[in-house]
Amino acid sequence: MIWQNIKNAFISIKSAKLRSFLTVIGVVIGVFAVLVMIGVGDGVKKDISGEISSLGTNVLTVASGRIGQSSSQRQTSQQQQRQTSGFPFSGGFGTSTLTEKDVASIKNISDIDKITTFGIISSSVVSGNYSSEGAFVVSAEPNYFSIRNIKLSEGREITDRDNEDKKLVAVIGSNTKADLFGDENAIGKKLTLRGKEFEVVGITKKSDGGLSFGSSSDDVVIIPYNTGVELTGKNEIFRILVQVNDAKNIDSVKSEITKAIQQNHAGEDDFSVLTQEDLLGTFNSILDILTTFVVAIAAISLLVGGIGIMNIMLVTVSERTKEIGIRKAMGATFGNILGQFMTESIVISLIGGIIGVLVSYLAGFVIKRLANITPVFSPRALLAALGVSLLVGIVFGTAPAIKAARKNPIQALKSL
Amino acid sequence: MKKNNQKIVIKLDKLSKRYDDEAGVYDALRAINLEVAEGEFINIMGPSGSGKSTLMNIIGLLDRPTKGNYYLDGVNTAKLSSKDIAKLRRDKIGFVFQNFNLLPRLNLAQNVEMPLIYKKVSLRQRREKVKEVLSKVGLEDKIKNRPNRLSGGQVQRAAIARALINDPSIILADEPTGNLDTKTGVEIMNLLKELNLQGVTVVLVTHNPELSEYASKTIIVRDGKIIEDTKK
Repeated sequence: MIWQNIKNAFISIKSAKLRSFLTVIGVVIGVFAVLVMIGVGDGVKKDISGEISSLGTNVLTVASGRIGQSSSQRQTSQQQQRQTSGFPFSGGFGTSTLTEKDVASIKNISDIDKITTFGIISSSVVSGNYSSEGAFVVSAEPNYFSIRNIKLSEGREITDRDNEDKKLVAVIGSNTKADLFGDENAIGKKLTLRGKEFEVVGITKKSDGGLSFGSSSDDVVIIPYNTGVELTGKNEIFRILVQVNDAKNIDSVKSEITKAIQQNHAGEDDFSVLTQEDLLGTFNSILDILTTFVVAIAAISLLVGGIGIMNIMLVTVSERTKEIGIRKAMGATFGNILGQFMTESIVISLIGGIIGVLVSYLAGFVIKRLANITPVFSPRALLAALGVSLLVGIVFGTAPAIKAARKNPIQALKSL
Repeated sequence: MKKNNQKIVIKLDKLSKRYDDEAGVYDALRAINLEVAEGEFINIMGPSGSGKSTLMNIIGLLDRPTKGNYYLDGVNTAKLSSKDIAKLRRDKIGFVFQNFNLLPRLNLAQNVEMPLIYKKVSLRQRREKVKEVLSKVGLEDKIKNRPNRLSGGQVQRAAIARALINDPSIILADEPTGNLDTKTGVEIMNLLKELNLQGVTVVLVTHNPELSEYASKTIIVRDGKIIEDTKK
């Protein structure tokens, strides 16, 4: 029976080609709009995830002060979003609560690959008559480079030796280099921080130009951690970065670090341990709101497509009143007629859905070329698109089909 | 012709139909009694507005009486749901209409097999049966043709084939020759007669008195009542 209904649907669609085509177009536009918006949203999300994970994989950030995640329990995403959105700043105020003892305790935890501490030093960055306004000064241990995934275009990284000997050396970002030295070779040149001269030993590779979070490695002066302590006279740990050996151990290491530091701080929750996910969560939730909004607007076009189907089905039903009468005389039940017309609207809608999916795919290539965003069409989104078009067919086909099935056979047979 | 042991296919028992709408109350049928035995060829006649169409609609299970009972093949149709009525119509009644009523978009095979589709008969069985009934009416070579490629007589033959496909208890023919020329009309009547001789019960509704010669029994309806019931 279902097969027969589908066959009848195609016979009917073929017998009114232009009309069917126009109706299908309505659904195609709706599905296309929704899919492309979701695809672009997911594409941007993927870009940002890539950006954040390029800050270093499997990295936990230990910060002073209460930021985001509670140490013992997960919070709702909404709370998380509100609190972690302050991440880049809030931990920077006041005196850090993190100590060398905390670093030592973390080093004792298993499943840790690398650890680095770093501080932020407030200082102007000057070389001769030039200064770099955008640069900020980071004092960091050598592991900082590998954990933050910072690559150099020239020179060398900060070494253990530099750190132990408190050498006056610096690795500078590509923008900072341009500010201070222009196109000249900068390696071996001097810059001044808090009245002391530092030798430039390395320059970071320019980042891809994508969105950057936390600190950009383009506008930065990185000096050895111990040199920084001597320069400022204070051992103030801004963050501890911990690289975990395997992604599956992130959560267990996180809770162990939390436990260890809590012990050091006499049970006080004056620090935070954040995963990459905590960071991602913020950006994703903002993006989700945007995507939802845009998709909702796109969905209106799908609604309009559905109304188009309903309209055409109502016309079809009244045009085919006689057929309904004949079919009823041949023994068709209410359900038979209902099924026949429902199938017809579902077939129209599904054809629209399938074409919409194909058109979206093609549009994906165009968008990739023109907008430098790669839309992501997950299988789930595609199934959802087909599911929604099925639903549109059912929802907007029901009323016309009921109208058809209810027709009085005697009246229907008399109609022309 | 009627024997005592012959099966009664149609039995109308004090059947009435009253229309009650804005136009007022109107009694289309008034306490009609009628029996049709298996293998009979009855001819229902009467002028326009006599109630003949209403009677045909009720016999064809397209309409329901207001009062009284209608037994089709021994089943009292008064107590059936509309779904069961539709099934009974599908299984027991074959319609032949004045204007043929084949679907123009479907070919002959698709038109003829329609009642079997509603009965969920398999494709293979449907094909066999379609071939069988189309050859009965002499259209086996037109199986893939659409109705618009055929003459009026051929289309009506196809409609008769469609009426036969479910091996119905009765064939209900409503002015089957009304849209045909005389010669073709005679052919169609001969076909119905031939089927009747093979055992099919035929109920013919017409206002053409010439057709009563084919019937074994003629009933004349006037003002909602049977005023004459003539057996040959």
